[in-house]
Amino acid sequence: MNVKPPETDDQLFVRLRAGQEAAFIALYRKRQGAIFRFALQMSGSPAVAEDITQEVFLALLRDGCGYDPDRGTLSGYLFGIARKLLLRQMERGRVDVPLESDAEEAALPELAVEENALEDLTHREGIEALRRAIGTLPRRYREVVVLCDLEEVDYADAAIVLGCPIGTVRSRLHRARALLLDKLNQERHPRPSVGTLKAIRCLT
Amino acid sequence: MNCQEFRKSIAEAGPNPDLLPHSNQCPACAALLVRYCGLQAGLTAVAAELRHLEAPERVELGLLAAFRSQHHPARAADPGRWWIPALSWATAAGLVTVAALFLLHPHRPSPAHRTAPPSVEMASVTDSPDSYAVDEDDGFIPLPNARKLDPNEDVNVVRVEVPRSAMLSVGLAVGPDRVSELVEADVVLGADGLARAIRFVDEPAM
Repeated sequence: MNVKPPETDDQLFVRLRAGQEAAFIALYRKRQGAIFRFALQMSGSPAVAEDITQEVFLALLRDGCGYDPDRGTLSGYLFGIARKLLLRQMERGRVDVPLESDAEEAALPELAVEENALEDLTHREGIEALRRAIGTLPRRYREVVVLCDLEEVDYADAAIVLGCPIGTVRSRLHRARALLLDKLNQERHPRPSVGTLKAIRCLT
Repeated sequence: MNCQEFRKSIAEAGPNPDLLPHSNQCPACAALLVRYCGLQAGLTAVAAELRHLEAPERVELGLLAAFRSQHHPARAADPGRWWIPALSWATAAGLVTVAALFLLHPHRPSPAHRTAPPSVEMASVTDSPDSYAVDEDDGFIPLPNARKLDPNEDVNVVRVEVPRSAMLSVGLAVGPDRVSELVEADVVLGADGLARAIRFVDEPAM
């Protein structure tokens, strides 16, 4: 039996540009989920994610959409548009997820965390805790975790999407994971805030 | 491999077999490897959990309408399927009539003043009790996922400018080259300030 291999994104794109509806549908169905999830994780809003998904594929339909296979994959191109649209939405304040937290960036934790914080990460509560932790990451770390860890975009594509060198993707991912571990550890063992600490003895 | 090289390798490439010889000799690095593997397993589980999330079907329908209007303008107005838009309009008109009947209830309270949602730029505001009496000729289209108006709910109608792409979300065809244009629309806002229905002004396609 002769099984036809699935069409690549670029083959579908060529047929789409030639006006073949089936190619557009196939490409949309292949890629919309990842774009929607990326937008959802970044914005925290299903409505924004829906708008972004729609706008991304409308951009693909436009004449002179700007996609160039020599500069990266179609998937990376779609994520790139989604990211730009998200940044615009964030500027307008139409997102539910906090954008940046300078305090967290100032003191990046090492990977020091109690092991029992990781025991249940694959169980229901652990997964929920990890999802919450991802949602509270500063944007630059959240986007790299969502792209590379959740959507399995390779580092080279992620670098094109984010407009930075691969080394920066790697270092952001490393810091993002350290932050996640720290957040999970804090959730299990909340640190007392400075205001709640009482002085026992004055040493001066 | 020393501890520094171990940390550099795990930061750049994640957990990998090259790390095992050193982690077998160094408890601190072994613990670090365990943490990293645990987190990776958790992230894989989160990814699997999210995998089923997809854009609603109406996004595909709207995009398909845009694709057809771009590539097959004749097919977009296929005479063999005249009943589809007719049925849609009849349904929309029916909903508007029902909403109008609710709104004309004699015990309705005075209208609350509301502002447009932040995602739209307000051009002008109409705030008149008569604006409740939308009949089917008014051409308001209920927004997808919007809650129905309550019988005695205060409503406002505001005129706003929205991107033409908003027409896609109510099933109207828009050419991809025109999605970023702004069009004027009247939006019915419920008492909670959320949009319930929309009518595009001066749009011949309506």
